[in-house]
Amino acid sequence: MKGPLNRMFSSTARQAATLTAIAMLTGGCSSVVSSTTGRLADSLADALVNQNDPETVRQGAPAYLVLLDGLIADDPDNPDVLLAGAQLYSSYAGAFVEDPERAKRLALKGRDYGWEGLCAVKRKTCGTWTEPYEVFESTIDSLGAKEVSALFTTAGAWATWIQVNKDDWSAIADKARVDAMIRRVVEIDPSYQRGAPFVYLGVLDTLLPEAMGGKPEQGRTHFERAIELSSGRNLMAKVLLAKQYARLTFDRELHDRLCEEVVEADPTEQGLTLANTLAQEEAARLLEESEDYFGE
Amino acid sequence: MRYRRTLMVVVILLLASALADAQGVRLKIATLAPDGSFWMEEARRAADEIGRRTDGRVGFRFYPGGTMGSDDTVLRKMRIGQLHGGVLLAGSLGDLDPDFEIYNFPLVFRSYDEVDHVRRELDQRLISKLDDDGIVAFGLVETGFVYLMSTQPTRTFADLDGRKAWIPEGDAISKAIADAAGLSPVPLALSDVLTGLQTGLIDTVAAPPVGAVALQWFTKAKYVTDLPLTYIYGTLLLSDRAFRKLGAEDQEVVREALEKMSSELNRRARTDNRDAREALVKQGVTFVEPTPETEERWEAVAAEARQALVKRQEYDRELIAEMERLLEEYRGRDHAPIPDS
Repeated sequence: MKGPLNRMFSSTARQAATLTAIAMLTGGCSSVVSSTTGRLADSLADALVNQNDPETVRQGAPAYLVLLDGLIADDPDNPDVLLAGAQLYSSYAGAFVEDPERAKRLALKGRDYGWEGLCAVKRKTCGTWTEPYEVFESTIDSLGAKEVSALFTTAGAWATWIQVNKDDWSAIADKARVDAMIRRVVEIDPSYQRGAPFVYLGVLDTLLPEAMGGKPEQGRTHFERAIELSSGRNLMAKVLLAKQYARLTFDRELHDRLCEEVVEADPTEQGLTLANTLAQEEAARLLEESEDYFGE
Repeated sequence: MRYRRTLMVVVILLLASALADAQGVRLKIATLAPDGSFWMEEARRAADEIGRRTDGRVGFRFYPGGTMGSDDTVLRKMRIGQLHGGVLLAGSLGDLDPDFEIYNFPLVFRSYDEVDHVRRELDQRLISKLDDDGIVAFGLVETGFVYLMSTQPTRTFADLDGRKAWIPEGDAISKAIADAAGLSPVPLALSDVLTGLQTGLIDTVAAPPVGAVALQWFTKAKYVTDLPLTYIYGTLLLSDRAFRKLGAEDQEVVREALEKMSSELNRRARTDNRDAREALVKQGVTFVEPTPETEERWEAVAAEARQALVKRQEYDRELIAEMERLLEEYRGRDHAPIPDS
């Protein structure tokens, strides 16, 4: 067989660099929060995703993380604090930490909090992470509306861990499990978090060109779904449509139009402000590189 | 009058080439590798080195992610000068020179040690085959061994009965293997294979470990038959016309940097496949040992498939004989296995 299989598959996770992490920065924990510590953890996550100054998050997040560790140590079976820990650790590691070793350390903690959180929400998921794929998949497929929030947060934290371990083939293989989780989220609730899961699915389908097994057109449909479900307010969906799809298909007109729209938009939006602000920075960078990428 | 016009043309040409020298040459290279991939990182590193060492006389413009089209399209664009080079699979160069794809033949190699032994001797001869086709190649780059993977274990030949096997659309070598093995092949585009496995349209595929991991085929096809079916590889090349436009010293710099890049990518493919194989095991994939009789059957099928291929195209029989001689020499030798590095 001569299919152009592995030209650079080690890159598949790499290309999502900061993408999945940013995609999961959207929305706080929307589970029904029962305890006081759970409410506090949830408020922290909310304050973070609604921040419009990324630098404040970059500098302030470490203190939040230490605080969360304390809350989790006090109440180790509380799914709300565990999932807030998963979200904050992985978002911070994926979007703000440049030192690869630190990013790995923090993302691992985020992933593990996610696993523990989902396990606390639904006991039968405990330990399935490393079971053979089909065992894991059938467990995930049995989850329902009550678990959807924990499922999405854990998937995002796991995706971030994969992204920062992009040279590790075991991590790349785990991507199949994250995909199964995201697909399940969309099955349970197609409009969950105003389409945020579709951003992830869009990235997934546009990691590789069609000749290498990617599905750029399907990816575009996913991004457009996320844009539609957020009434155009998920700016990261637009930037990733430009960065992933328009570049892959060499569509400069679409690329530049999307980036310009994002740069000019108002980033403030409940649950999306931080991600939108980062999206604007990314859009400006993409526009700067446009001539270099598309020009003769 | 006529003489003067000729002179004018010569002067203009000289001026133009001087101008080109002053501004430098920009080589346009196409690859399927997406932006941000290890391939592209290596390519940019090589381009930087070349730019530095030629004082900016030789620059590169890369078209990643297959934006310039399939391998065939890239070759056509190279012919009309729209592109100067590309990263292509050996199979795609078979139309230009069938000899370039002889390592692709089914079941030629049993181990990477054998690959290394043969490649040390023959790579340069394969590469020089392309000279006549106006192509300068800078070393071969391994993709890796391809293994049979299925939803059920394949230990004996009888196990293959009734299996629905995928083959890449328009791939003569896979077709020859499938025909010789008596399989009913289902041709599908690469991007439809996972869906095909999920819906049961197919239950048997072939892939190198890196492909099986990256494309998630292992989630359905969780039994790998531990017998390398074919060896796939590619090359980074430039059109001879573009290469010759560079000054002799610049040619040397370009050759050195691109060959270094190829050898780095080649080394990386080896370790990636080894790591991907370990990852498959960790995911619960089983590597099935074929029975000795089955291995013999496979050898017979491969010999039949090779014959069919040799009949179909004009191959350099001497080169094939040399490859076989090298393999016999290696197998006859009492050697300690070379550890993976």
